[in-house]
Amino acid sequence: MRNVIVTGGSRGLGLGIVRRLTEAGYRTIAIARKETAQLQSAMEDGERDHHGSLRFVPFDLSRIDEIPRLVKTLRKDFGPIYGLVNNAAVGFDGVLAIMHNSQIEELVRVNTLSPIVLTKYVVRSMMADGGGRIVNVASIIGFTGYSGLSVYGATKASMIGFTRSLAREVGRMGVNVNSVAPGFVDTEMTQKLEDEQRQQIARRSALRRLPDIDDVAHAVEFLLGEQSKSITGTVLTVDAGNTA
Amino acid sequence: MSVRLSVISQVEQVAKEQKKKLAPLSDDLVLLDSGLDSLCFAIIVARLEDALGIDPFSTAEDAGFPVTLGDLIRFYEEAGK
Repeated sequence: MRNVIVTGGSRGLGLGIVRRLTEAGYRTIAIARKETAQLQSAMEDGERDHHGSLRFVPFDLSRIDEIPRLVKTLRKDFGPIYGLVNNAAVGFDGVLAIMHNSQIEELVRVNTLSPIVLTKYVVRSMMADGGGRIVNVASIIGFTGYSGLSVYGATKASMIGFTRSLAREVGRMGVNVNSVAPGFVDTEMTQKLEDEQRQQIARRSALRRLPDIDDVAHAVEFLLGEQSKSITGTVLTVDAGNTA
Repeated sequence: MSVRLSVISQVEQVAKEQKKKLAPLSDDLVLLDSGLDSLCFAIIVARLEDALGIDPFSTAEDAGFPVTLGDLIRFYEEAGK
């Protein structure tokens, strides 16, 4: 069974990705600070349905210095890592001019620095094992603007740039690197959006609705699967046509 | 297997896998002239971490990479002490 790591896999989009990949037959390793009731129930479902399997590994991804040890432990406990889904992120919004520096720093640390360092340690083991897949969860905010999300947008744009160059770097070692850029999806992270804003986003989208978690999870599954073996260095936008 | 032999066997193994023509190995061989490229060294570092349980590059204070094969071997020998 192929091992896939999903960061931030205990809730929201990450949990949806974890559920999808487990159903698709992967051994999914969810990494997050805390186990949630939803993740526990996903693990029970996984056990019962016998598709793939789902494991939880508690880890605070903002602890950059601990990442090398995390990857070493994962490899020791689970064996070769086939896939990495860099999904964990924080989503503080706020006007840049009055945003606290500590929040700016945390956004960059969790959304950019941490996935880059994690990828460093995972990708080299993928290269040593002959290949693998990396999917970075970006956001349409990385290439379109939204007031109050300048720092978040910067971190998401950084993941797209990271994806493109890393794809070129490790392609000949059999590792594909892609991004998924979701539009606004209903999760805890976007709860702060008011109904009015939500409706406006839906109205401005080609399909007149918001994408749901499962839409994004399917895109991630596709980029991990055989069907996408010739796709690397690209961004798959899942936004119901919001940026079309 | 000694640290020295582990390093040398990984260098040879990766060169073979990546179809690189390896220069004759000696302690004063400059790694840049060895026939291996930086991705090959990334694989060597990952494999040595599995084999020896150490990654001296993650614990090193400075960001330099050893210059010669002898430096690389000593780097691992020191870290393993």
